[in-house]
Amino acid sequence: MMLEEFSLTDKVALIGGLGQSWQKEMAGYLAEAGAQVALFGQDEEQMSAGVKKAQELGKEAMAIPIDVTSYRQVEKMVQTVLKKWQRIDILVNSFNLPFAKPLVETSPEEWQKVMSANSTPVFICTRAVGKHMLERKEGKVVNITSGLAERGLPNGTVYCASKGAVVQFTRALALEWAQYNVQVNAIALGWMADTVETSKKEWHDSLTRLTPLKRLGQPDDLACALVYLASDASSFVTGSTFCLTGGLMAHG
Amino acid sequence: MLEKLSLDGRVAVVTGGAGGLGTAICLSLAKAGADIVVTDFRVEDGEKTAAKVVAAGRKAVLFPADITRSDQVSDTMTKAINQWGKVDILVNCAGIVRGEVPKPFWEISDLEWQRGIDTNLSGAFYCSRIIAKHMVDRQYGKIINIASGFGMRGRRGSFMYNIAKAGVILLTMSLALTLAQNGVRVNAIAPGLFQTLGPKEGYDALAAFIPMRRAGQPSEIGALAVYLASDASDYATGEVFSIDGGALFSGYAPINYVPSIPLNE
Repeated sequence: MMLEEFSLTDKVALIGGLGQSWQKEMAGYLAEAGAQVALFGQDEEQMSAGVKKAQELGKEAMAIPIDVTSYRQVEKMVQTVLKKWQRIDILVNSFNLPFAKPLVETSPEEWQKVMSANSTPVFICTRAVGKHMLERKEGKVVNITSGLAERGLPNGTVYCASKGAVVQFTRALALEWAQYNVQVNAIALGWMADTVETSKKEWHDSLTRLTPLKRLGQPDDLACALVYLASDASSFVTGSTFCLTGGLMAHG
Repeated sequence: MLEKLSLDGRVAVVTGGAGGLGTAICLSLAKAGADIVVTDFRVEDGEKTAAKVVAAGRKAVLFPADITRSDQVSDTMTKAINQWGKVDILVNCAGIVRGEVPKPFWEISDLEWQRGIDTNLSGAFYCSRIIAKHMVDRQYGKIINIASGFGMRGRRGSFMYNIAKAGVILLTMSLALTLAQNGVRVNAIAPGLFQTLGPKEGYDALAAFIPMRRAGQPSEIGALAVYLASDASDYATGEVFSIDGGALFSGYAPINYVPSIPLNE
């Protein structure tokens, strides 16, 4: 039996995606819990698949193709959603551009590119949606990040910094918006199968072996954590990072 | 996916189930479908919790035990396993929040030190030791340790509580890694200030230091316990989940310090 506080019935969720962001799956989880969903970002194939998933579950859904690093475009998107549904209860920020390179070979442009893919859209989108949430004195922001926000990796300096920024953004903003009843939390993922599959088989195998639960992560692994943090069930949780890494964070 | 949040057919043991967060956790687990073994040394209140679980439509039984006594705990946990033939979920919630008499550090007696550590840490070890074996035999189980934000932060004049809770967090991590390949997940919840004793007014002074400016209601912890007790959280182990109104990452500045420092130009 599912507790009723997990329900998202009548709620409106915005799901921003970029890169390998599991956007369509997340649209499915939130719609299954009862939410109407709007997907925004650049990956139109991913977004229309998400819309389809939500509609198959009997929920209204739409895709809004925009550049998530453009404040003007994001703000316009927020107005479009508000015009249609009059409210935004949930914002999910899921932006992920993997990158690994020795620091001395990394160009300032690459640093900029990784930051503007992984960190900047979290600021842009939260700022644009947050105004509305603060006015209503109600809202949920869920930032998807990586366990590498809190751990190091050779050649991963820029990526780790870009993901760490998301965790610290979450903690600081949680304090700033605590009195407005807007909760800001994060989910940190471990080694995800679809990301690792693009690398060499030996890496795939050694990362699987290293993960205490002996398997790589799947989008389904975050489903209920996402619903929990998006719902009234998490009314006293803010500034928290839920690590779903198969046990990696407990390692020495 | 959401059906994974159901606890239908599961059996949960909740230590410290007679009051505060323990009672709230019992009720939420029961509402999600689990039958509950309540353990506590407070018999009368424990019976009340069990009655509430029964009123919610699930089975419940109380086994009284002093969590600091390894022999009693072992007996009780064995009885709990035998009650319905299995234990799927163990919630280590027994502990004392306000157990320490304020006094100079050098006047803390051996007995006070021992009691503080035993109540808030050894009890979780004694319970887990029996139940973990059973869970490994079945290749299934969920252990949830109720730690505290104070297990990750210091507090003036507080020793046994903070140190024991830090120990609970490390018990969580090491046990999680040890049992990771046996189908057993071990996670911790780190609650902040909750209104577990007496009226709201008693919490107003402390609530002023919480970013959300209030203490949590015990019922607010229930859904997190259900998530961690269910198969919905199967990819999480050895993790700490804070639920504290933002407290864990405050404390670097006074709660009402909201600076404004513009950039030049």
